[in-house]
Amino acid sequence: MEKNAATSAIKVVKLTKTFGNRKAVDNVSFAIPQGAFLSIFGPNGAGKTTLLRVLSTLSRATSGSARLLGIDIKQEPDKARDHIGLISHNSMLYPDLTAEENLLFVAELYGIENAKDRVLEMLDSVELKHRRHDVVRTFSRGMTQRLSIARALIHDPAIVFLDEPYSGLDPHAVEIFDGLIEAVRKDRTFIMVSHDLRKGFDMCTHALVLSKGTVVAFDEKNSLDFSDFSQLYAQTVGMGVA
Amino acid sequence: MSNTKKAVKLPEAGGIFDKIAPIALLTGALLATLGFILTFTIASLVPGAAVNGVELIGDQMVSNKLLLSQNIFYFHVPVAIASMLALGFTAYYGIRFLMTKEARFDTCAKVVTEVALVFIICTMASGELWTRFEWGVWWAWEPRLTTYLILMLLVIGYFILRNAIDDPERRASYAAVFGIITFVDVPICFMITRMIPSSVHPVVFRTDSGMPPDRLVLFLICFFGMLLIAFALYRLRFRQVRLAERVAALKEQLDD
Amino acid sequence: MANLPGATGSTNAVSTTSAQVRPTGFHHYLTLLKKDLTQEFRTKEMLTSMGIYSLLVLIVFGAALAQTASSFDILQMGGGLLWVLIVFTSLLGLNRSFSHEKENGCLEGVLLIPLDRSVIFLAKASSNLLFLLAVEIMVIPLFYFFFLTTTTPAETFWMIVFPLLVGTIGVAGIGTLLSTITINTRGKDVMLAVLFIPLIYPLLYACVSATTAVIVGGEWTMDVYLPALALAGGYDVIMILLSWVLYDFVISA
Repeated sequence: MEKNAATSAIKVVKLTKTFGNRKAVDNVSFAIPQGAFLSIFGPNGAGKTTLLRVLSTLSRATSGSARLLGIDIKQEPDKARDHIGLISHNSMLYPDLTAEENLLFVAELYGIENAKDRVLEMLDSVELKHRRHDVVRTFSRGMTQRLSIARALIHDPAIVFLDEPYSGLDPHAVEIFDGLIEAVRKDRTFIMVSHDLRKGFDMCTHALVLSKGTVVAFDEKNSLDFSDFSQLYAQTVGMGVA
Repeated sequence: MSNTKKAVKLPEAGGIFDKIAPIALLTGALLATLGFILTFTIASLVPGAAVNGVELIGDQMVSNKLLLSQNIFYFHVPVAIASMLALGFTAYYGIRFLMTKEARFDTCAKVVTEVALVFIICTMASGELWTRFEWGVWWAWEPRLTTYLILMLLVIGYFILRNAIDDPERRASYAAVFGIITFVDVPICFMITRMIPSSVHPVVFRTDSGMPPDRLVLFLICFFGMLLIAFALYRLRFRQVRLAERVAALKEQLDD
Repeated sequence: MANLPGATGSTNAVSTTSAQVRPTGFHHYLTLLKKDLTQEFRTKEMLTSMGIYSLLVLIVFGAALAQTASSFDILQMGGGLLWVLIVFTSLLGLNRSFSHEKENGCLEGVLLIPLDRSVIFLAKASSNLLFLLAVEIMVIPLFYFFFLTTTTPAETFWMIVFPLLVGTIGVAGIGTLLSTITINTRGKDVMLAVLFIPLIYPLLYACVSATTAVIVGGEWTMDVYLPALALAGGYDVIMILLSWVLYDFVISA
């Protein structure tokens, strides 16, 4: 198992999520190594979000298996959760608590030792230490996004999911966000779902295209450039999307 | 591997049950009607409920002649018990759904609750007639009546809840949970006449039943008939819903 | 620009978890409860809205009863009115109890953390219970002042504490489960009322009869009071156990 973890951060085998007649995710298999950045592309309703929810243990798959660092998320969801961080367009912050209280709340739930120090460290790193006693409601969109990154990474997860992180951010905030993500890349594995084809392609090392719940393309990026990719995307997914 | 877990047997339309459903419906209707008519023609009056001359019950003068209306009992009680049994199945299918997360069990739960609602409305309507005739009022806040009204509101709430959720899986989970909780009120409603003995509703189901044998037989005929009707309605409706689901699935496949 | 800690030091994820000790369920419970209380102390949203609402209901009672003058017995009616007040006020509070969790997807954030789902239920039910009890402490003296000072309630009046406590526990427990359900539905405010009121009816009935019994007093007080209290307690136990067991399915859906 340890060996497995060293080679692939995420290994998904025949993952299927159905309900009644609807197949949201259909027989998806792929594997990515540690430190990879996987972008998942696809039109609306292709099952991107469902796949992300299943992988982040928020939703249960109907059949198939998924292993994060060798941990089966179906059998040991709590163990897997220790290594998962999620950054989404929702900040997941309580607007009436201060920045410090928000982070402290999460740190205590994860059971981090010296929670207080860790929280200050995180606040410092996203340059919000001077505002730590302010209520989150008074923060700008960009500041909230930064704080939500600190919130997601407070337990130092090895795998980070990004769920449409750019929606609602202005170009400047996007730049800062990219800088922060770049700073925390290191050995972490990232999986991003985004509508922004260009952005997603620039950041990724691996790309996966979903359509109607099935994988239509999965490859490492180095063999492709963007124009090739967008052409491929338009071909596989169909008209009017790219 | 998780793939090797044994497959759950899913209820499906068609087969022997659907073939006998129309016959069951007919037999049930015949039995229930027959039993009900016979109570007027051959059976004796309910001895426990007979009064000497005229008596005051619930602010109303009651005589033996009025007690003929007691015969609605042979419709009212079987329907009521059938509705409670149907709600038992709502809870059962709810549990099955939560354990397997199979959409089929949600369909079953929904259909059986629909049948329960039909029977509940019949119970309320027949009970209402009885109330008016016996006690001279349209409504009384009497324990059995009240708990049954609550049961009806819960079942109506079940359908309002279903209609207010778009995501099918979430709808199914919430409906299953609510169906299970609703079932808690069924035993309460059933037992309430034992807990509050001053009730106007007599305790019918006991070992020393106060019914004479001929009445008991008639009651059982009506009861059995009503169960057949409930079963047949469930199968017919289930078949209809399942076929509609299959058509929807085919349409979706054609779209791809 | 920024350099986030943790990433540099850790070569793989497994080693970093050594700084993490899985806290006990009780620790989770306290953390969740503390968060709700901190939030409420800062905004005082629930308490003020419920407090003012219940005062308004009292005023409506005043108007509704104004014409009855001395011709009816407020003691017989008092218990019932008090429970009307509690049911409607708690509906208001329960509707709000999950709106903060939903606002920024906070609930999802909590679900990502390895913790027992039923702990979330217990923590939320506890905070709802505390808020409801706080409002009751404010409102019951007012109720007494407006409606019961013209007569003398029985000496057993103080015993309304127990039906109030048992009833409020049930309301908070059942209400927490239902508001978790209704927060995700269309027309959630009405929805909660539609599901909540029939479901607490048996509890309400028992609590009203227990409360009325001790307000009115008399020889048979205990003959009504104790069975009613037992009934309410039994319903509480069944419903809260059931909600506790089923909560995982509701919150994960």
